[in-house]
Amino acid sequence: MSGATAAPGYALERRGTTRDLGDYVVGAGFAAGTPAFALADGSLHLATGEAWPRVEAHDGGLLAFASAGRFFVTGGEDGRLARVTPEGEATELARLGRGWVEHVATHADDRGRVVVAAGMGKAVHVVDGEGRALKTLEHPSSVGGVCFDARGKRIAVAHYNGASLWFVAAKTDSPRRLEWKGSHIGIALSPDGDCVVTAMQENALHGWRLSEDAHMRMSGYPSKTRSMSFTRNGKWLATSGAESVVLWPFFGGGPTGKAPTELAGGDNVLCTQVAAHTQTDMVAAGFSDGMVVLADIGSSRILPVAPPGRRPVSALAWSADGARLVFGTEDGFAAVVDFGRRD
Amino acid sequence: MAEAQTNETVPVTVLTGYLGAGKTTLLNRILSENHGRKYAVVINEFGELGVDNDLVVDTDEEVFEMNNGCVCCTVRGDLIRILGGLLRRRGRFDGIIIETTGLANPAPVAQTFFVDEDVKAKTRLDAIVTVVDAKHLPQRLADSHEAADQIAFADVIVLNKTDLVTPDELAAVEARIREINRFATIHRAERGGVPIAELLDRGAFDLDRVLAARPDFLEDDSHEHNEDVSSMSFEVERPLDPEKFNAWISGLLATKGQDLLRTKGILAYANEDRRFAFQAVHMIADGGFIGPWKDGDPRRSRIVFIGRDLNRPQLRRGFESCQAT
Repeated sequence: MSGATAAPGYALERRGTTRDLGDYVVGAGFAAGTPAFALADGSLHLATGEAWPRVEAHDGGLLAFASAGRFFVTGGEDGRLARVTPEGEATELARLGRGWVEHVATHADDRGRVVVAAGMGKAVHVVDGEGRALKTLEHPSSVGGVCFDARGKRIAVAHYNGASLWFVAAKTDSPRRLEWKGSHIGIALSPDGDCVVTAMQENALHGWRLSEDAHMRMSGYPSKTRSMSFTRNGKWLATSGAESVVLWPFFGGGPTGKAPTELAGGDNVLCTQVAAHTQTDMVAAGFSDGMVVLADIGSSRILPVAPPGRRPVSALAWSADGARLVFGTEDGFAAVVDFGRRD
Repeated sequence: MAEAQTNETVPVTVLTGYLGAGKTTLLNRILSENHGRKYAVVINEFGELGVDNDLVVDTDEEVFEMNNGCVCCTVRGDLIRILGGLLRRRGRFDGIIIETTGLANPAPVAQTFFVDEDVKAKTRLDAIVTVVDAKHLPQRLADSHEAADQIAFADVIVLNKTDLVTPDELAAVEARIREINRFATIHRAERGGVPIAELLDRGAFDLDRVLAARPDFLEDDSHEHNEDVSSMSFEVERPLDPEKFNAWISGLLATKGQDLLRTKGILAYANEDRRFAFQAVHMIADGGFIGPWKDGDPRRSRIVFIGRDLNRPQLRRGFESCQAT
């Protein structure tokens, strides 16, 4: 970053634990406080102890990963959903058929009840935490992204020519269709559940404000947005796909007609991953040169976390309490950074 | 398109052809023969492979239109997703083969490699291989658009089932293919028996090779101004003015892009020691400098058009007018 001095103090050096896991990191996250990294080769690596245990989750490639609070859920090229506990026990959650499970989203309520939504082809299969099939949601075309709302009541699905919004508990399944021409390849819901935002093939975002039946367009990206994250209070949507962290204001009439705030730019390096902090208005961001920073939205201050010099950051996530950050890269570098630790 | 990219990108072969032409037989041969190379295969969901391969991906061909104001800019969304997934673990295979359904128009597949930034960065379209059935091709050409399109798009054509026709019929069908696409390499075959090395890793999209295989210039003008697909090439002696060329080709693709299936060229720009390679599928164009002109080689610009309703004098005049003054 341009603001970094000659010898920036990277948090990784003092607060980080790192390993080279040797394959593309598809996802990273925490379950019951244990960090884990899911690799494209089908394995999950639990960041505990000196030798991080490796758990085989899929026969063939692993394509999707999510934490369900007390365990991890993964989807693979083998058409299966796997469940891996923080203790390293892997079981088959569901066998969804022939095809790739490309998307996994989860919701865990206060009592630990889990709902899993898995995108395979044109369908989203909804199962509970024990793998019992709840329903199958069919779409007019292949699923490009899946997410739950904050309360786990609704599932939003991106596909061609728009998105579909389903109620998980509805007796009869008919979605609210949100239409916009084109290929939608990712989706996010605002914390209050009122705004649906999709990433599009054409390097732009599209949004719908449900209460007003209004459209929002957010464009200007030099590449596709692969990662989107609303801040805790829903004021900002942090996005990847530009040579900075692009934050759209979802307040004061925005984002329509408002310019986004850009942070940590200036090096002509693409931002590849973003993760809003779980407690404060801060956002972690990973770049295509392996750099990771923490940006404070209010003050625009940048805390360098990991130096450049690696492959693109492909996974990034906060622990529920916001004390620890995990990230991984396309060539298997994996790190846990503990911001709560005193040293 | 830069030469430096070649080693880092994964070669992709697109296999097209009518149902019954012998695509699956050919694919099974590629996957079962011992050639020391490993291929990931993307097949359409109706396909049946007789070979075990842990890198076979079933897909539903999903074509969508890009929101870029260009009506014929259609791409395969399923391919963008599948290639993205496969390429996370590129060490698993040496190349990718994409089979299309028999009725598929090859344009969306080809355009995917021009339009999607991620696909473009990590793969290169090595060749479009079209399998045709020597016995039934005349009938296919008579009853569908797609059969001609698949030949027009091909870099390599496998003229299969030659044992089912007489030598005269074979000569006639080959002549018919040549009327549509005089630039593709044709391999005659029985039961898909073509050496694998003739089909894969051809670098056929390395335009240099395609254009260096100089077809005869004694072109027959009798097929102009009709609905049939034909191909023609032009060559100019004097270096081109890049601005003039860009203006001409942009205008041409914008107005005639629907009829122009493929356009390829190697261009000599004025005051430039490197060769400029240009190619387009319908309106979607791409270009870049490739290696320098070889010492002693004539620095001539050549361009090839394959499409419908090509107007030879107009195209010739247009190309000639791009020469620097």
